Amino acid sequence: MNYGFQFGVVWDNIPELLEGAWLTLQLGCFAFAGGSLIGLIFAAIKTYGTWPLRFLVDCYVIFITNTPALIQIYFLYFGLPEVGIRWSNEACLLIGLTMNAGAYLTLILRAGFLSVRVTEIEASQTLGMSLIQQVRYIIVPHIAKSIYPALANFFIVVLVMGTSVGALIGVDELTGQAINLSTVNYRWLEYFTVVAGMYVVLTFIASIGLALLGRWAFRVKARIF
Amino acid sequence: MPHLEVSDVRAKYGTLEVLKGISFSIKKGEIASLVGPSGSGKSTVLRALMGLTPITGGTVMIGNDRMNYSSAKEVRAARDRMAIVFQQYNLFQNMTVMKNLTLAPLKIKKWDSAEVMSEARRLLGLVGLSDRADAYPDQLSGGQQQRVALARALALKPQILLLDEVTSALDPELVNEVLDAIRKLANEGMTMIIVSHEMAFVREVADKVVFMDEGQIIEAGKPNDIFDNPQTDRARDFFSKILRH
Repeated sequence: MNYGFQFGVVWDNIPELLEGAWLTLQLGCFAFAGGSLIGLIFAAIKTYGTWPLRFLVDCYVIFITNTPALIQIYFLYFGLPEVGIRWSNEACLLIGLTMNAGAYLTLILRAGFLSVRVTEIEASQTLGMSLIQQVRYIIVPHIAKSIYPALANFFIVVLVMGTSVGALIGVDELTGQAINLSTVNYRWLEYFTVVAGMYVVLTFIASIGLALLGRWAFRVKARIF
Repeated sequence: MPHLEVSDVRAKYGTLEVLKGISFSIKKGEIASLVGPSGSGKSTVLRALMGLTPITGGTVMIGNDRMNYSSAKEVRAARDRMAIVFQQYNLFQNMTVMKNLTLAPLKIKKWDSAEVMSEARRLLGLVGLSDRADAYPDQLSGGQQQRVALARALALKPQILLLDEVTSALDPELVNEVLDAIRKLANEGMTMIIVSHEMAFVREVADKVVFMDEGQIIEAGKPNDIFDNPQTDRARDFFSKILRH
């Protein structure tokens, strides 16, 4: 084995890779935030809704969780233009990831809804809270605390695994950027070594952020290591 | 004129009728106590008054206002006038003691913040927990949590306070601290309906005792009359068992 490592070229392209990492972080955060909103609404419907609505939510969850994210994003990027709907590759990735995350988060949040104590709900009712006030002051904080670990893990999944699919439809996030650069000078091994390290750092930063958010907002004693 | 008048109130769980026409009344500043065996419907009376268990018949009057339990919106009127303390405290676990007390007055009633805070501090003083305002419920003993629950109910300035077996879940040595807090309220002239198994306490504070069994009122009257000279076999049997120790 006489492979000569040349990290010099990678070093020259660090700014491009950081740009990719930044895009990855943004995509991960937006998809997770959007997915959380979908998940919150759909989990509420699954818990409290009437059966036709519950059925629709079930269809969505079953369809999304049983097909690969890549297929969903290809459907948006290559499929929809056939019927005249044309979005940019970033938009397709973001919408696809959001919808994908929404289905999984519906399941995670549903578990949270089921764990809300009836006693606290009754107390809030007798204090005169409307349903919306109960959701805002009692149910959401409780859910956030009880499912925080599952939520934090899933965020990492979206951030690392979800966004990297974007490389296959030409989005220049971290993986995409690495592919672009290595096809120019063929230093695949060096680029992907560095990129792997960057993903680890990115996840680490996200973990710290999540732990701080958990402690500040939900009194969760989250561990970073 | 009675302050609260309950007339022929009925309630069902599924097909099981748990309240079979309950009627009683209390005057302002009076303390009524509901006693009776488990499953007699005492707690259900309080839950029905708060709109937690649907009422299927009868009327509830507070002052001159008839309470309407037909929809979540209408129930507000009853919940504005009455507050309940539960056996299991039912505190909001994710909020500090202070937040538990002030959430509803600030966010739901939208009362003045400075007044709400000073009233909350007064109530914590009343229940002897001034130094635990920033604690979370899981950092408190059962007795302390129950006193917080008492203060939380009072923070909404209810006209009538409902206490649902508030000492039943507590260790014996913690019961007295809660009873002391209730005694203070009694001295302040709070109108209360107390469901309790603490017969000595009931005899001490109650103006009126209502003995229930199987969803009906069997006997009602002054504590001493009911406890010492019950008129029905059912009441005699119950009190002979429970007052022996």
